[in-house]
Amino acid sequence: MLISKKVILLGKFGVGKTSLIKRFVFQKFSEEYQTTIGVKVDKKILNIHGVELNMLIWDIAGETSSMRVPQSYKLGAHGVLYVFDVTRPSSYDNIQKELQEIGKLLPGVPVQVVGNKIDLLGDVRLQKFRASFFLEGVIYASAKEDVQVEEAFERLGKAILQ
Amino acid sequence: MAKDILFYKLKQILFDEEWSESRKLAQKLEEVNNKIENRKELQPRVEPILNDKVDFLQQNFSSLFGPQVTRTIKTQIKESQDEVVEALYPIIGKMIKKYIARELELLSEKIDRQLDNAFSWENLWRKIRAWFGGAAASDMIIRDSVEPKLEQILVIEQRSGLLIGSFSVTPSIDQDMTAGMITALKSFASDAFYREAEDLEMIEYETFKLLIRNFQSFYIVAAVSGALTQHFKNHIDDLILDFADKVLNKKQESTAIEKEMKTYFKKSVDANQ
Repeated sequence: MLISKKVILLGKFGVGKTSLIKRFVFQKFSEEYQTTIGVKVDKKILNIHGVELNMLIWDIAGETSSMRVPQSYKLGAHGVLYVFDVTRPSSYDNIQKELQEIGKLLPGVPVQVVGNKIDLLGDVRLQKFRASFFLEGVIYASAKEDVQVEEAFERLGKAILQ
Repeated sequence: MAKDILFYKLKQILFDEEWSESRKLAQKLEEVNNKIENRKELQPRVEPILNDKVDFLQQNFSSLFGPQVTRTIKTQIKESQDEVVEALYPIIGKMIKKYIARELELLSEKIDRQLDNAFSWENLWRKIRAWFGGAAASDMIIRDSVEPKLEQILVIEQRSGLLIGSFSVTPSIDQDMTAGMITALKSFASDAFYREAEDLEMIEYETFKLLIRNFQSFYIVAAVSGALTQHFKNHIDDLILDFADKVLNKKQESTAIEKEMKTYFKKSVDANQ
């Protein structure tokens, strides 16, 4: 059975949303930063407990706040991957408020928070960061080194199907 | 001392009338001054004069200032041609568009007239087809050269952009992604141009068009190649409306819709060929 669902990636600019999608869908990574203009839609089919989940992934251009992203891009989403950069505090300073706003706009829609670019921190600093970070259930990933990327999308997929 | 008093009295006798006049004059001057400096006092007196002047200017503006204004505008245009072009460009563009549309209409009418006067079998056959098809003969000529063809139909959920069903005559790229991108484009257009209450209805390439028909919870995209005539557009609209009414509004499973689409639109494409 194939079920199609819309997943959107939100987060401030330059946190690695496009890189996560590239890694997840195409198994690729590029050091070159290219800002996303508008929206790019990709898809990947995941098999979750025998169910074929057709994920239509909307890579939405990052803004200084996800509330500045046109609402119509977010409407109808079945799942949200909220990405921040573990090395850039400005990308997660306001995260609780951003998540609240997303919850208001998309009530009941699962949101998976992903801390990207852990390769830049190293093990010790990452441990310290995780211990001090106030949010629970965050997946710490690296699109560059392919760490926990698939897991992030899979966990969101499972939550969508629940 | 007595001399001074006498002199003063003499002055009084001699200039009494003048002094009185002088006092009256000073008083009058003060009154006038008050009237000039006090707006409330001055306004009712000056307003009628000004109104008369304004009326006179309004009536005689062109004869009084016409030549100067013309000269100023001419100089201004000469000195800032770029700005003038920029300001006039949209207006001229619309005028040209209107003119071309009108000329095309005239051309179309001319073709019709010429066809009326022609007696060849080919023309007769074309006219018969036009009569039965309900299209203008000029449309038929255009259609014969670049006949419009339904290439693809996509039924897409309004907000999420998920593909509900599709039908394609020619192979195409991933339709799920196409559906998502068209939805994103629709959203972008309405956000960018503040047209939340309106919908994108057509995306036009030179010989390829995406006709978008919006419904409450879904929208249908018809990809058409060739010269899109009004008649073919109406035909597509009828097909879409009929399909939406017969199939989509009955809340079916996606697989069932896909199946129905193939049967429904294939029949229509075959009939059109």
